Amino acid sequence: MSTGAEIPNDNALAGEYVLGVLPLAERRMVEERMTRDSDFATLVASWQADLSNLDEAYQPETPPAGVKARIDARLFAEAARPAGGLWGSLVFWRGLALASVTAAVALGIYTSDFGRRAGPGTTPSLVAELGAPGSSVGLIAALDPAEGAFTITPAAFSPDDGKSLELWLVPGDGVPVSLGLVPGDGGRLVLDRDLVDQVSDGALLAVSVEPLGGSPTGTATGPVVLSGSLSKK
Amino acid sequence: MSQELLSGLIARTALGDRKAFSALYDQTNAKLFGVALRILKDRAQAEDAIQEVYVRIWRRAGSFREGQASAMAWLVTIARNQAIDLIRSRQPATLEYDDAPDVADASPDPEAQALMSGEARRIDRCLGELEENKAAAVVAAYVEGLSYQELADRNAVPLNTMRTWLRRSLIKLRECLSR
Repeated sequence: MSTGAEIPNDNALAGEYVLGVLPLAERRMVEERMTRDSDFATLVASWQADLSNLDEAYQPETPPAGVKARIDARLFAEAARPAGGLWGSLVFWRGLALASVTAAVALGIYTSDFGRRAGPGTTPSLVAELGAPGSSVGLIAALDPAEGAFTITPAAFSPDDGKSLELWLVPGDGVPVSLGLVPGDGGRLVLDRDLVDQVSDGALLAVSVEPLGGSPTGTATGPVVLSGSLSKK
Repeated sequence: MSQELLSGLIARTALGDRKAFSALYDQTNAKLFGVALRILKDRAQAEDAIQEVYVRIWRRAGSFREGQASAMAWLVTIARNQAIDLIRSRQPATLEYDDAPDVADASPDPEAQALMSGEARRIDRCLGELEENKAAAVVAAYVEGLSYQELADRNAVPLNTMRTWLRRSLIKLRECLSR
């Protein structure tokens, strides 16, 4: 009996891999070989290029509407893990009334924490107190410039079940940029590095209510419930 | 959408541009979901797979090289690999050959060889040089993500025979594609 696998032919092996017929263990072996044998990787690429002409056979089919939100939640909400430190006292903050939170900022609780973290001589922290128009503070966002992360303190605002709060930066050109989802219990929201430079004194932050996992479109789709400007504290 | 525009969106996605990533999703999700569904034949599994596919696209966008593959071919490759890995993970990790004797190759089918005109795409012309059932096996393996066992069952031949057939077909196909 022959297995066919005995025919020593890299072209056949590369073709089998691209067709997808190999069992998992052999697929992994081929992929491992591709990383260390560039000639073999070229064979695989040739098969991929030639066989991709068969891709026309795949009929487009619309996936369910919630898929993109779940992808975004996986990719972009991962950055919003609660950290330790100040957040050891999260339970304390969560129960605070609006006025108390405002008072805490006035007393410099946040700024002293950031001063210690960033060290002397670094850019001062930027803090925004976000509220509904004409009302008091609902959420505090403090930028730690050394780490490129916002620390979010939710005061008395939480989204309805099945909704997420998304934080947006509205820079000078007026086109909002998503900074990510507001962590449910507060915590840190780490920004993409290129976003940190756009966060400046006077820039506007806004929070919109979005489907769970965030805006499916990349722009705010729900009502803006909180907004406020960043300033040095 | 043109390949150039898709390439641009992939390049911007590689830079961490979420708007470009969203636009890329909008332009390609139906095609890639179609790929996952065709291979997995189950909507719930295809839904899981498509999420993983876009997570991979976001993370690997920087490895896309224009010229090596068209943008859509690159995206379909990611979707096919994800779907095939998923079904293979539920099948035996290695091939279990039986002791059945090899089945001899049928003689070449001149009709199938004449089927494709010189105007057809190279892949179609070269598939046309294979016997009809061999060409059909290559296409079914690629498009539907069939395993060797499934191909053997479909062709009513032992697994070892199926592998010999397919590997010989691939070698012939490569000779023709390289001409």
